[in-house]
Amino acid sequence: MDEEKCTGCGVCAQYCPVTLPDPHNQNLTTYKAIDILYTQAIPSTFVVQPDYCLFLNKKECKQCTRACQTGAINFDQKPEISEYEVGAVILTTGFKDVNPAKIVSYGYQESANIVTGREFERISSASGPYGGKISRPSDLKKPQKIAFVQCAGSRTRGTGKEYCSSVCCKYAVKDAIVALEHEPDLDITIFFMDMRMHGKGLEDFYERAKKSGIKFVRSRVAEIKRVVDDEDLRIQYITELGALHEETFNLVVLPMGLEPSAGNFSLARAAGIDLTNYGFCRADLFAPLNTSRAGIFAAGGFLGPMALPDSVTQASGAAACAAELLTPTRGTIIVEKQFPEERSVGEEELRVGVFVCNCGKNIAGVVDVTDVTRYAADLGNVVVNVDNLYSCSQDTQDLIKETVIREKLNRVVVAACTPRTHEPLFQETVREAGLNRCLLEMVNIRDQCSWVHANEKEEATLKAKDLVRMAVAKARSIEALSEPIIDVIPKALVIGGGLAGMTAALSLAEQGFACVLLEKSDELGGNLRNLHYTLSGADPRSYLHELIDKVKSHRLITVHTQAAVERVNGFVGNFQTEITRGPEGGKEQEELEHGIIILATGATPFRPDEYLLGQNDRVLLLHEMEKKLATGEFIPGDRDNVVLIQCVGSRDDTHSYCSSICCSMAIKNALTIKELNPRTQVYILYRDMRTYGFHEDYYTRAREQGIIFIRYELENKPLVTAAESNVRVTVRDPVLGEDITLDAVMLGLSTAIIPDRQDNLEAALPVPRSAEGFYLESHVQLKPVDSYVDGIYICGMAHFPKSIDESIAQAKAAAAKASILLARGYVKAEPIVASCAEEQCIGCSLCAAFCPYSAITISKKGKGKKAEIIAAACKGCGVCASYCPSKAISVGRFTDEQIYAQIEAFGLKK
Amino acid sequence: MTNEPKILGFLCHWCCYAAADAAGVGRLQYPPHIRTIRVMCTGRIEPAFLLAGFANGADGIFTGG
Amino acid sequence: MSDTIQEKTVGAVMVVGGGIAGIQTAMDLADTGYYVYLVERSTAIGGIMAGLDKTFPTNDCAI
Repeated sequence: MDEEKCTGCGVCAQYCPVTLPDPHNQNLTTYKAIDILYTQAIPSTFVVQPDYCLFLNKKECKQCTRACQTGAINFDQKPEISEYEVGAVILTTGFKDVNPAKIVSYGYQESANIVTGREFERISSASGPYGGKISRPSDLKKPQKIAFVQCAGSRTRGTGKEYCSSVCCKYAVKDAIVALEHEPDLDITIFFMDMRMHGKGLEDFYERAKKSGIKFVRSRVAEIKRVVDDEDLRIQYITELGALHEETFNLVVLPMGLEPSAGNFSLARAAGIDLTNYGFCRADLFAPLNTSRAGIFAAGGFLGPMALPDSVTQASGAAACAAELLTPTRGTIIVEKQFPEERSVGEEELRVGVFVCNCGKNIAGVVDVTDVTRYAADLGNVVVNVDNLYSCSQDTQDLIKETVIREKLNRVVVAACTPRTHEPLFQETVREAGLNRCLLEMVNIRDQCSWVHANEKEEATLKAKDLVRMAVAKARSIEALSEPIIDVIPKALVIGGGLAGMTAALSLAEQGFACVLLEKSDELGGNLRNLHYTLSGADPRSYLHELIDKVKSHRLITVHTQAAVERVNGFVGNFQTEITRGPEGGKEQEELEHGIIILATGATPFRPDEYLLGQNDRVLLLHEMEKKLATGEFIPGDRDNVVLIQCVGSRDDTHSYCSSICCSMAIKNALTIKELNPRTQVYILYRDMRTYGFHEDYYTRAREQGIIFIRYELENKPLVTAAESNVRVTVRDPVLGEDITLDAVMLGLSTAIIPDRQDNLEAALPVPRSAEGFYLESHVQLKPVDSYVDGIYICGMAHFPKSIDESIAQAKAAAAKASILLARGYVKAEPIVASCAEEQCIGCSLCAAFCPYSAITISKKGKGKKAEIIAAACKGCGVCASYCPSKAISVGRFTDEQIYAQIEAFGLKK
Repeated sequence: MTNEPKILGFLCHWCCYAAADAAGVGRLQYPPHIRTIRVMCTGRIEPAFLLAGFANGADGIFTGG
Repeated sequence: MSDTIQEKTVGAVMVVGGGIAGIQTAMDLADTGYYVYLVERSTAIGGIMAGLDKTFPTNDCAI
C-alpha cells in the first residue's frame, strides 16, 4: 500500500471478498483482508494481510486495485531492510497477555463465555463488536451474573509467572464499574487473593466499586467449568477458611496477567542487552530506565507489567536519559521549514476562494459536489470556486497555492474532511502562497456529512451547501493573526532536595541547563537518608552519597539549603521567585529568574496517635526500626517476636489512600531481621499484601523463611498494650477465628505517607493539589508530571508515595518535559488565544476567576483595574469571552462577529 | 407534515466535534438536519448565541462538549 | 561508557515499539530537538492502549 496515495476511504475493503478475525476486536468480529486496523488507526492507511489475500496466495482477485481510485495498492511491495544512524535507542516493545489457554483448569477454550480482560474491554466498548451493549459471545444475551477471576496467569508458583502483574486488579475493578454503568442491574463478583489497588486514586476507586454493589470474594478459584445444559459457567473456589464453594455465572472474565512480548528474546539478543529470568528487560534500582548496554534505554511494558501513567512517565524519563547523552547534538538534524513572507491583506477587498473536495467517491458518492461548487459561486465575495478529486493530494496543494497567488485570494475555504486532521496541511499550503494561516477556513462535508448521511443524497447535498455558506460567512470576517512568541529563560528552579529533586536537577544540568535546587532542611537527601537496605540488595547509602556529590559538584547546579520560597511571580518561561536561604539568624534573600519550576517537595511518614507510638520505646515507625537495625541499636534475639502492623492511619478515615510502598518496606525489614537472626520470629499484620510487580518474589521468599502473615479487618484492628518488658499485640486471626496474643520486643508501624506541606510555598505557588494534599497532574494517564500550571512540573512523593525507581523515573520525566521548553527557548501561543481590549475592560475580574488555566491577571492601570491575558498560558477555550460583560475579550479565530456570521448564515437555510 | 427540523449545533473541538468525526469514520447514520459550528470549548458558547440561533429560525439547538 | 559513543554522536534516536510508551518518548525527544525514528511492528501505532475501552481510575476513553 502506498501511504502517500491512500486516502483512507475504505472502498477497497468494501470490494475485498475475504473476511478474517479482527485482532483489534480480539477476534470477536471480522474484518477484510485489506482493511484498516481500527477506525482511528494512525496512519489511516488500509493494508493488505498477506496471509489471507487471495491475490497473494492464489494469484486471483485484485478487486481492490480496481476499486481504488488513487492507485494506492501496489502488490509488488517487498520487505526492505533499512539502516539508520542514531545516537541512542529506546526500547518500548510492551508486554502481552498470558495465554489463557495455558491455565487448563480455567477452561478458556471450553467456552466462548470465558473471556479475557482485553476481550471484555472490546465487549464494553461503544466501538466494539456489540456496540457497547454488554453481551456474552455465545448467544449475545445480556449476562446477568458476571465473575472476574483475579491472578489468572500471575502469582502462580511453578509457571514462570510468580510475579504480580500490577494492573489486573485495577482494570478488573474498572471493567466492573464500566459494566455497571452500561447495565446497572448486573450482578458482579470479583474473586481475588489480595486486591492490589495501590497508586493514586485507586483505593477510592476500589471503595466506589464496593459501594456500587460489586462483590469482592477473597478466595482462590480452583476450576471453571461449563454447565452442560446451557452456556453458563460454574466456578469452584476455596475461601480463606479453606471451604470449597460453587457458584454459577453467565459470563466469566479472566483479567489476564502480563508477560514479556514474544519478540523480547530476539530483540535483546539483537540489541545486546540482558533480560531478567522472567524475560523482561533487566534494569537497576538506581538506573531504572537504563538497559545493560550504554546508549540503549527502556520504558514501559518492556521493563515489566505496569499501568498507563507509569508507562508514560517512564517514556518521558527515557527521553531524558537519551537527551542527557546526546546534548551536544541537540537540534543538529531537525530543521524548521521556511515559508515566504506573509502578504498583508488588511486593506484588500475580500476575495474568497472555495475549494470543494470529491474525496474520490467518499464525498462525491453522496453529495453532489458539482452542485455545491456551483452554489458557492453565488455567495458574496467568492471569486474562485472549484472542485478537486482529492484536495489533500500534492497536485491539489500546488493548484490551491497557484490559485491563491494568481487570483489574489485573501480568504480560502476548503470543503473536505475534518480540520482536526487536515487543517495543518491546508494552513501550510496557504502559508506557502504567502497568506497568514488563519485566513483558511475548513468545512467538514465528509466525516460529518457524506459519511453519516450515505442514503440521503439530496439532504446531504443541501447540508453541504448550508455548511459552505456558513463557512464563507465566517471567512469574510476572519483575519490574519500573529502568534505571540514569549522567550523562555533557560534556567530551572527545582524545589525539594530529596531523591526526585536531585535527580531532576541533575538531568537538567546534564542537558546543559542551569538549575537552582532548593532544600528546606540543612542537607540534601530527603527520605533516602532514612533507607539503609533495599529489597534487591543495592546499597541506598552509597547511592545517596554519590548522588549528593554529583549534584553539589555540577557546575550548572546551585544548591541552597535551609531555603524557603517566599513569593513567585510570572508565568511559563518567565518566573521570578523570591527566596530566603541560610541558617536562622543569618537568612539571606535572593530573587531568582527562571523559565520553569519542578516541584519535588516530597512526603513524610504519618505519626499516629495509636498503638502506643511515642509512649513506648518498643513501638517505632518502620524507618526508625530500620535505622536501629542498621546501626546495631536493635539486635533481634533468638525466639524474640517482632511484629509489624500495616496500614496504620492508612486506608481508613485518617487517610483513605493506600501508600503503595509500605508492604514492600515491611517485607524488606522482615527479611533483614531474618538475615540478622533466623531464629527471631517476625509477624506481619496486614489487610492486603500489596507487593506488586516483581516485589512479589520477596513476599514469597518471606513466607518461605517463616515470616508469619496474619490478615486483619479494619473493623477488628490489632490491640496493643504495654507489658512488662515488651509490648503485647492481640489480633484476631481470620483463619482460626480466634484472638492471637504476641509479646513483641519490637513493634514496627507502617504508617500512611503524607505529603510534605509548607504554608509559605503554598501561598506563593497555588498549584492544585488533591484532597490528600498531593500535587495534581493535569491528566492522570497522559500528563503524569505536568501540573495544572504551564511550566510547572511535579515528581517524586509530592505527587504520590512511590519507590526509589519510580521516583527516579518520574524525576527524569519531569526533567524531560521541562527541557522541551528550555531547549526551544520560546513559547509560541496558538493564534486561538484570547485578547482583551483594554479600553472596554471594566476590571470586574470575572474572566480571571473563570479561567481554568490561570492565564489572566488583573492589574491596576490608571484609575481602574484591567485584565491582561498571558498568551503563553492561554488555551483558547473562550470561557473568558463568554463571561465578559463588556465584551472586551475576543478569542482568536472564534470571535463573536465570526460566530454570529455563521448563525446568520445558518438562518438563510431554506 | 414532514419532520425536517432545523437544528443548530455547537460542538467542542476536543470532544464532541471529534466524536462527530468518529461517527463518520464508523459510518453511523443519523438524520441530516443539523448544521454545526465548531468552537474550541463549550465554554465559548454565550447564551446570546443560542438566542441568536432561535432568532435565525432554529427549531432546536444542540451543544456538545 | 564505550568509546564509540564518545567519538561520534548523532542527534537522532530510534524508538522501537509504537505503543503509548514509544509514542510518548518519541514526541518528547522530537520536541526537545532530536530526530526520531519510531519503529512499529503493526500497521498502526497505539499498541495495547488502542484496544482498551476506558482507563482507570478516571474512566477516560482510552482511544
